Amino acid sequence: MREPAGSGPAPSDAAPAGEVAAERARLVSYVVLFAAAAGLYVVSLSLPTSRWEPLGAGSFPRLVMVALGALSLVAALGSVRKLRRLGAAPAANPLVAAFFARHRVVVAVFAAFAVYLALLRPLGFAVATFLFLLAAQLLIARWSWRGLALAIVVAAVFSFGLNFLFATVFMVFLPRGILG
Amino acid sequence: MADFLTALAQIFAPDTLLYMALGSVAGIIAAAIPGFTVTMAIVLTLPLTFTMEPLQGIAVMLSVYVGGYTGGLISAALLGIPGTPSSVATTFDAFPMARGGEPGRALSLGVWASFFGTLISTIVLVVAAPPLAIVAVRLGPWEYFSLIVFALTIVASLVGHSLMRGLIAGVIGLAIATIGPDPMMGRPRFTFDIDMLAPGLPFLVVLIGIFAISQLLSELEGTPGAPREAALIPSAIDFKTWQVMREALGQPVNLLRSSLLGVFVGAVPGAGGSIANLLTYDQARRASKTPEKFGTGVPEGVVASEAGNSATAGGGLIPLIALGIPGSAVDAILMASLMVHGISVGPRLIMENGDLVYGMFIAMVVASLLMLVICTLSMRFFLRVTAIPTSVIVPVVTVCCVAGAFALNNRVSDVYLLGFVGLAGYLLKKLDYPLAPLVLGVILGPIAETNLRRALMTDGDWTVFLTRPVSAALLVAAVLSVAWSVRSHLKGRRMLLDA
Repeated sequence: MREPAGSGPAPSDAAPAGEVAAERARLVSYVVLFAAAAGLYVVSLSLPTSRWEPLGAGSFPRLVMVALGALSLVAALGSVRKLRRLGAAPAANPLVAAFFARHRVVVAVFAAFAVYLALLRPLGFAVATFLFLLAAQLLIARWSWRGLALAIVVAAVFSFGLNFLFATVFMVFLPRGILG
Repeated sequence: MADFLTALAQIFAPDTLLYMALGSVAGIIAAAIPGFTVTMAIVLTLPLTFTMEPLQGIAVMLSVYVGGYTGGLISAALLGIPGTPSSVATTFDAFPMARGGEPGRALSLGVWASFFGTLISTIVLVVAAPPLAIVAVRLGPWEYFSLIVFALTIVASLVGHSLMRGLIAGVIGLAIATIGPDPMMGRPRFTFDIDMLAPGLPFLVVLIGIFAISQLLSELEGTPGAPREAALIPSAIDFKTWQVMREALGQPVNLLRSSLLGVFVGAVPGAGGSIANLLTYDQARRASKTPEKFGTGVPEGVVASEAGNSATAGGGLIPLIALGIPGSAVDAILMASLMVHGISVGPRLIMENGDLVYGMFIAMVVASLLMLVICTLSMRFFLRVTAIPTSVIVPVVTVCCVAGAFALNNRVSDVYLLGFVGLAGYLLKKLDYPLAPLVLGVILGPIAETNLRRALMTDGDWTVFLTRPVSAALLVAAVLSVAWSVRSHLKGRRMLLDA
């Protein structure tokens, strides 16, 4: 695994570049979790107390946020120590860009999934699913005419077929959209 | 007795048996496909069981569970790729045996060992769960809260590579559970006037997103379009069913030791088939007179690993039925399916829903029989599913997840939530956070909060958690499990530095 360009001081010979990048990403996650815990703790202070019990609606969330904040803080400190031991400064680096570069297929399919979810209501389950299945299979598989034919068959069966199955067997009516 | 007969009638109803057979097939197929886990198969089955009677639904899911533990054997033996994490040790001897020209013997041995492992674990379940539940009903909210703390710490200690990230994942789960109305007074919390958050995050959508969507995205990380490895299937496979059954039964000590170890590992929250599989294999090798032959295709290795992982199914149900504490992600889903039907899971389950619990015992036995029959008769067909390309499986299963999430409440907003949770789960997975503690946190959060608040309503003094002996013992056990995990971690690091 390559270290992304412009990632700050070079790690020592003993520290694999991937390990440093992964630890930096985890450090970012600890900081985000700490910030979220702190923010939600403040929000929980406005939750009403109860006349009937010592703990109100906000006490348990406060307890959870304190635990989350404390654990994230300890983990972040451990992460900084680890990065120093690995010989890398805990500086920000283009983690997101590196992630996108290494996970092109994942990102593309998830983007298609997000568009699919957005179109689910207007187009309806059957049509939106057909388009998503077709697009996703073509994104993942190598291009070939045989692959395209298989993709169309699979898309048709698992979009219109699944819609029919849910409606007739489980009596669950998936969004109909343009098919009314 | 009346409860037992009612349960027997429900399980042996033709439609239930048919659904269970379909569940077994689904579990075997799912686990045979590398990357598609038993958990994902059960998550996908869950929405389909909503329209069924509670016992029918849970029986189908148990069939998927039992079938899934066996299905992992197929790709482990024939491709050398564990279909599920719980069949890693199976590859050590089943694969060399298959390579050595005996694929049928390897598969049959695994199937019989799985069958006997499930049966033995069911016997232990029937014997152990009721007395444990009788003790558990005497627990008050103090002990129950401490029990949940203990369960979460032990899961965090045993799952994943880092205790700290395990604990954080568990607390994230608890935090997710605080979104929406509070469990006692119904006051809205952390909803920020967003309609989607008003009823709270439906835990089944969280389950599907966390386990299925994140796993499916992970499956796309390989080379695009790369076909799966060709299966090592000779033109004819001779299963020698009865001969191999006698061979498996010819190792009673190995079979019993591996099954009992599997039950024990399954009953410990957080441990599961993946640990049992390796542990029982290791024990079988230590006990063998010819340990040097392990890894070359010896039957003892196949029997130990498969009996061990299958026995965790019954073991995992012991804390679920007796205490209402799911020990693994799969048990959490089983618990969720009961809760969907309005059945409260806890120590009173046996007393208030005896027919359901007896039904679960019977279903385990029937599921193992179905697995045995289905595997013996149609193994050749299952071999083919390992060749289905990722480009078909991932999109199709994703769509099934979407349909399942929508079917829970007929809400499109749940599907949007599925997308968010799936992405979050994938990122957490990439950052090496274990996902099982998170899901247990989501399920146990409201139970923990309710018991904590009830306990303090009786006596507002927090020290009561330490003055009540059982509660104090459970909290001490929680601290010890964390300390033990930290010690193991430091020891491992020291050994690494010395090396």
